[in-house]
Amino acid sequence: MTALDVLWVGLGGGVGSLLRWWIGRVVGERYHGSFPLGTFIINVTGAFVIGYLSVLFTVAWHDRLGTPLKAGVLTGILGGYTTFSSMQLDAAKLTASEGARAGTFYLLSSVIAGLAAAALGAALARLQG
Amino acid sequence: MINIVILVIVGGAVGAMLREFTMLMVPPLSDGFPMDIFVANIVAAFLLGLVTALHSRKVLSDSVNTMLGTGVMGGLSTFSSFVYASVVLAAASTQSALVALVYVVVSIVVGYIAVIAGLKLGGQDKA
Repeated sequence: MTALDVLWVGLGGGVGSLLRWWIGRVVGERYHGSFPLGTFIINVTGAFVIGYLSVLFTVAWHDRLGTPLKAGVLTGILGGYTTFSSMQLDAAKLTASEGARAGTFYLLSSVIAGLAAAALGAALARLQG
Repeated sequence: MINIVILVIVGGAVGAMLREFTMLMVPPLSDGFPMDIFVANIVAAFLLGLVTALHSRKVLSDSVNTMLGTGVMGGLSTFSSFVYASVVLAAASTQSALVALVYVVVSIVVGYIAVIAGLKLGGQDKA
């Protein structure tokens, strides 16, 4: 890992996190249900983009540093934009307020939709390439 | 408003760099299990629970909660790499598909336990 990689990851992480905060805010202003829709949308769209870009630019999943695209966009922006920790916290909150069934449904639907979105993004890039 | 923006950007930048440093310290496993992403995500889930509990007890201020919870822990954890690694592993071979399945299930279960443990340690009984 070079100093330039650290810089790209930091820059991308800052931008991605800001985007996550802003989308969460916009969704929160319009949707008032108990389902954590903001985090769900953020994670599923981020999963789609990483699948699409990785295949389009032939980047292996474990290859995350070395170029501005890999360090800045894939590791930085998309890593900062999507979040695993908030998904788990949302699930814990939902379980406390609505019961274990709602929490489990949220976790499973996030992960299944995320897997499908990543596969769909990759398939779309293959179709183009 | 501009204060929140700065807190989130700075926190997210620090979190993403911490994720990379964490991942570089974790040795890769021979069967392809993405242990590095797993460790970063579990640590972030635990610390987010802890920060949230301390914030709810007013030990941490709103600003610190925004920078640490929304910024650093959001940047430290990642969902995109988590699902994309699973998709690639699932398509590679029957054995790596099994690894992907174990990875997804273990991440969901251990991540949930980690956030609850963080909340409890921070003195909050309920999320």
